[in-house]
Amino acid sequence: MDGMQGMQTAPALPQGAGTYTLPQHRRRLWRGGLHGTEYTWAVAFCIPYMAIFLAFVIYPVLYGLWMGHSPALYEQLWEDPIYRMSIVNTIIYLAVGVNVKLFFALLLSGFFMRKQLWVKGLLVIFVLPWAVPALPTFLSIHWMLNSQWGLLDNMLWNWFHIDGPQFLDTSRWLALGSVIVAYIWKWMPFWTVILLAGRMAIPQELYESAEVDGATGIRQFTHVTFPLLANLYLICTLLSTIFTMGDFTTVYFVSGGGPALTTNVLATLGIRDAYTVGQPDVGMAAVMTALPLLIPLVLILMRKMRTAEVQL
Amino acid sequence: MSASVATPGRIRPRRTKNYRLRAWVTEGLCILLGVVLVIWSVLPIYNMIMVAVQPHGDVFTSSTYPVNPTLGAFWQVIDESYWYVEHFWHQYYNSLYMGAMTVFLTLLIASLTSFAVGRMRIRHGWVITNAALLTYVIPATFLSIPFYVIMNDYGMVNNIWAVIASLVTFATPYAIFIFLNYGASIPMELDEAARIDGASPIQVYWRIYLPLMAPAMVAVGTYALLLSWNEFLYQYLLLSSDRSMTVAVALAQFLNSDESPWNIMMATAIIYAMLPVAVYYMFRSKMSAGLTMGGVKG
Amino acid sequence: MSYLSRRSVLQATVGLAAGGALARPYIANAAATTASAWFTQGFIPEEDAALKQVVANYEKESGNKIDLSIVPFAPLAQKIISAISTGAVPDVMNHDIADAIIIPQNAWHDKLIDLSDISKPYAAEFSSTVNLAAQYWNNVTKKRGYYLAPFKTACIPFHIWGDLVEEAGYKMADAPKTWTAFWDWFKPMQAKLRDKGHRGFYAMGLQITSTGPADGNNMFYGQILAHGGKNFMTSDGKAHFDDPQVKEAVIKSIEFTTSAYKEGYVPPGALSWNDADDNNAFHAKTILMDFDGTISTELAMIHNKKNYDAAVTMGLPLGDAGQPTPAQLGAGGCFMAKGCKNEAVGKDFIKYISQPKVANGYLKAGLGRWLPCMPSIVKNDSWWLSDSDPHRKAYVTEGLLGPSVPFFYVYNPGVAVANAQQVWGQMQANVIRNGTKPQDAAEQGFKQIQTILDQYKIVQS
Repeated sequence: MDGMQGMQTAPALPQGAGTYTLPQHRRRLWRGGLHGTEYTWAVAFCIPYMAIFLAFVIYPVLYGLWMGHSPALYEQLWEDPIYRMSIVNTIIYLAVGVNVKLFFALLLSGFFMRKQLWVKGLLVIFVLPWAVPALPTFLSIHWMLNSQWGLLDNMLWNWFHIDGPQFLDTSRWLALGSVIVAYIWKWMPFWTVILLAGRMAIPQELYESAEVDGATGIRQFTHVTFPLLANLYLICTLLSTIFTMGDFTTVYFVSGGGPALTTNVLATLGIRDAYTVGQPDVGMAAVMTALPLLIPLVLILMRKMRTAEVQL
Repeated sequence: MSASVATPGRIRPRRTKNYRLRAWVTEGLCILLGVVLVIWSVLPIYNMIMVAVQPHGDVFTSSTYPVNPTLGAFWQVIDESYWYVEHFWHQYYNSLYMGAMTVFLTLLIASLTSFAVGRMRIRHGWVITNAALLTYVIPATFLSIPFYVIMNDYGMVNNIWAVIASLVTFATPYAIFIFLNYGASIPMELDEAARIDGASPIQVYWRIYLPLMAPAMVAVGTYALLLSWNEFLYQYLLLSSDRSMTVAVALAQFLNSDESPWNIMMATAIIYAMLPVAVYYMFRSKMSAGLTMGGVKG
Repeated sequence: MSYLSRRSVLQATVGLAAGGALARPYIANAAATTASAWFTQGFIPEEDAALKQVVANYEKESGNKIDLSIVPFAPLAQKIISAISTGAVPDVMNHDIADAIIIPQNAWHDKLIDLSDISKPYAAEFSSTVNLAAQYWNNVTKKRGYYLAPFKTACIPFHIWGDLVEEAGYKMADAPKTWTAFWDWFKPMQAKLRDKGHRGFYAMGLQITSTGPADGNNMFYGQILAHGGKNFMTSDGKAHFDDPQVKEAVIKSIEFTTSAYKEGYVPPGALSWNDADDNNAFHAKTILMDFDGTISTELAMIHNKKNYDAAVTMGLPLGDAGQPTPAQLGAGGCFMAKGCKNEAVGKDFIKYISQPKVANGYLKAGLGRWLPCMPSIVKNDSWWLSDSDPHRKAYVTEGLLGPSVPFFYVYNPGVAVANAQQVWGQMQANVIRNGTKPQDAAEQGFKQIQTILDQYKIVQS
């Protein structure tokens, strides 16, 4: 059958993990574009997604922009010390949470490449935090950290006779730290699996030839693994930052925004303003202030995903 | 003479001794890491189980293990004999329905779109992929406020389809990307061959594309299910009556209670968690296959 | 490329939109033949059962149908707020703290329906405080009206573990009769009970919180009233923050609560308590006493006779200068928002449930967590003041037979807004966490509330 010659096989090649370009002759095939009924079909296939996008993304976004458009709202927000605190909290949450989580995910993905059976078994347990639904796990963590009857302070008292710290009660930083740790606990497995999949796509020959050249251990990591994973890692960071910015469940259930509203992040503050204080437009304005950070991130992400189709 | 660069094949006898020691030490460290990981991963889940098996009121004791474990709380949930879980099985059904519809619609819509963009290579397909990314500009949480208001307008509040719509909206872009990437490793020649044989696009989609995409579909399906069962805010805002709630919302309801029925709450949570965990473990191996480019087939 | 196909795309999109538009009236119209009602889920199962019975009785008597949704406390507040702001409202609404978080602002903006024709006939029988507590200012019509049709009311008593007091070696009968002495009396019991093995035990369940929605504010205003700050706001909706008595009351209240916390008599987690957490702490026997609205604390234990009898319910001690402390009385009932679909049936249902006999039956079936609005009911129906249930008797006496005042947010919605923002909770937190001086915290609180009140100036014509 014509066309079989020159067929490209495995797309994952050393020159940048996952760069894939259509070989010349194939481009020529499709350059003519789709014709007639094929075009109709293609369009029809795209309609469901575009409909969803228009109805459930564009419309709410426009509505939200309209809700939060008045400058007076932003003035009101700025005067509120809780709002200023939540911006700081959000930035810390993102900077520390996302990066520490991905860093450890990267290291752990290397660990999980090991061949032993017990390591594979360990992976099964390791993924439990992600598989178990969020609400009960965060509640469980909230109770674990309770200073009167929580598990952690009980363990410290029963085994070491130490009066454990009050994780969530009075110190903003301790509470924020607890929230970040809970967040890492929940989502690190997911990203570890993703990075692990990325690692597994790296051909074994590369490692073997590196070994022959004398590189072992860390050298292998820095010269073979990391350059190939770099793009994937960057995309994971961008995606994770975007996802985390909207993270409501963790803060809401682990610290509740406490003590005294000091560990709120923009997501929880927006919801609080909208529904508890009863001013949805202020709530919308609060979350809109995250846009200056979100839009550049998404633009970078778009660029990255356009130029190099990458494993996710 | 620990030479770091050598000609291939040279034996370095001194390194052998150190090498074995290093191997042991590494193995030991790995085991230590393994233990730490197990404790780290399991501790909150252990707490969940401990709270669930303690009799009511014992959750406030200072013991670190359940002193009088009982399955009473689980029975109360299963029998629906406690007033907060009066409609538990109906709510569980709602969660199942929501999860199943989310998975089905996400798979359907994302596969159709990625087929059109990635295989049929529709002109200006990049508009769609960029639009998909735009979905994530404003995180789901932020959009919940206008979303709720809009659903109110449509009279769709308290309707599970409002929640399904939101979940599908936020799962589909990611799914499209996975499909596009996975599909890139499937040779175009197969499509071509089918077209030449006279297959219409829908037949190519159905006969060639979908079967080959199976691993990715499993990965995305599992992801979509876990996403919907991990999600809380939209379900909480949009579903409020006993019969329309999902289990996630019902769980949050316990927090309003004056009676601290934490053991029943955690029992409910554990029963709720069994399905996603089971699904994940069933499809684990397929998942990693689906997440890669599908090819180190050299 | 075929523009034919493009057209078909356009057609498809238009079709989708049209389908959506056509579907809309269908979904909306389905509700036009019955009246929809949203009620708060009770704190005990008996309340819900009682409500369903009332609705069933109404449907039988009147032939109308009520589409009843019983929604938990917190989500219902969100639903109602969103519904009113978008105009997609049910016919009848009820929320346990509607009087605090929903009615003041919405009555002000003329978003609610005036229910005076239902409630005015009962005005003579209502306690005077209930009358005040159900009338809110409408800034469009420039007068007050019954925007809440009250059929129940509640106040804030003390809940104490009598058996733990005895275990600490004290007798309830010896409790001091004045406010500060009363609270202080419990402090030494903490150490005694801890010595007896109650680990992590605290004397006071002070809701010194910035989460809420209601307890932190209720507790603090209770303190203000007890310290002589009755003039905080007068019934004309004007605040009197310059009144030295008011200033002193607020400062003393902040000093009292924050020093109790700093001295370690309050569970540290109280800074983030929501409305259920203090009750949970009480039930867990990790606090000795609690100042919380209604007797839901005790009623949650009604099936556990030992605990039910061990708990003690008490009314308010006298103020420090010896004058009686007024109880804050909140009105509960149904309200309706403009734009509802079936106003006639909605009003009819509210009229039905507001009848003294029906309301009394409903409240009794709910085990008396809420009180009736008419003192005559409790005087004539021996169930309420029966000695067989000391909890109920103390609660009824405090709410209906003693001095009482409405909550300040009835007079001016600005207070409701300030409460939603948890101003006083944040001020107390500032003192505790940042070392602000109580006087400065009081000043800051006044300033913040005044800023809000400036948007809610009531001009009586």
